[in-house]
Amino acid sequence: MVLKRLRKKLRSLVSRIFRKQKDVRIGLYGPVNSGKTTLANKMCMDWLGEELGKASVVPHETREIQVKEKVTIENGGKSLSFNLVDTPGIATKIDFEDFIKYGLKNKAAKQRAREATKGVIEAIKWLDNVDMVLVVLDSSRDPLDQVNITILGNLDARSIPFVIVANKVDLKRSQASRVREAFPNYNTIGISAKTGFNTEELYNHLLENL
Amino acid sequence: MNLKIRFVPYEKFKENHLRGFLGSMRDNTIILIDAKLTPEEEANLIKETMEKVSGHFSGIELNSLELANGKSMDGIGKFKNAIIERIIGKKRGLTIIGPAKTVRQIRKNPEELLLYM
Repeated sequence: MVLKRLRKKLRSLVSRIFRKQKDVRIGLYGPVNSGKTTLANKMCMDWLGEELGKASVVPHETREIQVKEKVTIENGGKSLSFNLVDTPGIATKIDFEDFIKYGLKNKAAKQRAREATKGVIEAIKWLDNVDMVLVVLDSSRDPLDQVNITILGNLDARSIPFVIVANKVDLKRSQASRVREAFPNYNTIGISAKTGFNTEELYNHLLENL
Repeated sequence: MNLKIRFVPYEKFKENHLRGFLGSMRDNTIILIDAKLTPEEEANLIKETMEKVSGHFSGIELNSLELANGKSMDGIGKFKNAIIERIIGKKRGLTIIGPAKTVRQIRKNPEELLLYM
């Protein structure tokens, strides 16, 4: 079991070392409605002039992996090109009745739930295909949710470098400091993907670390 | 409503994977496992749960306590615990899994788990 894990880590490290710069994949992971697609759209608008996908307050709007290729960020003479991978929010439960509360009809709600479950499975499988992850958390919610802990634990176990993005700092009830205190061993950057607040620090972090 | 609490030894959980246990979720059974699941096991549990989600079963709530957390053990204690865990082949602790239709949330409050029904 230990040898198997060691082999897996070694394979992942070698793959990342020899993968060409242009094939770098940065994944956006996190719980449902944390702002992953909003952040993806912000990054794509800033550097490509076009959005990646549709964001919504209705949970599980993103139900498939969405990739935007050749996103290039630049600052202070440095540049980085990567493929941006937006993933469905990870959840341990999906109830179609929740979608009905947002105005969907019964049939559409059940279909959305079916698609959402497949999306969660795909997101977990795609952990094997990303080189770095932005773990997007809603800073107005309790960071010590089991989903968050599972995501971070899996990234650690696979030796995938990541940074925690404490999103939604524009909200009054937001507490980015609570996210930092919950995960003191990891880098946390507080931003608002909606307003663009402090996204420059995030871009600089990517430039410095990849 | 009657709730059942079912104890599942970690070794049995590993052998049977999750199919048998997720079936019992529909009977309002809460499962206790005598170990902290690894992140990969948690991720596999989520994947298998998603495959089982239907009109009657919306998923699970889960949380766990680990024996060797930062505050309760000093360096020597952690080292001893690491040796014991290597020998017994599992992380010492407790995992609770409950059906989401019955258990609204399981919160960790450093050294205790709170179930909200």
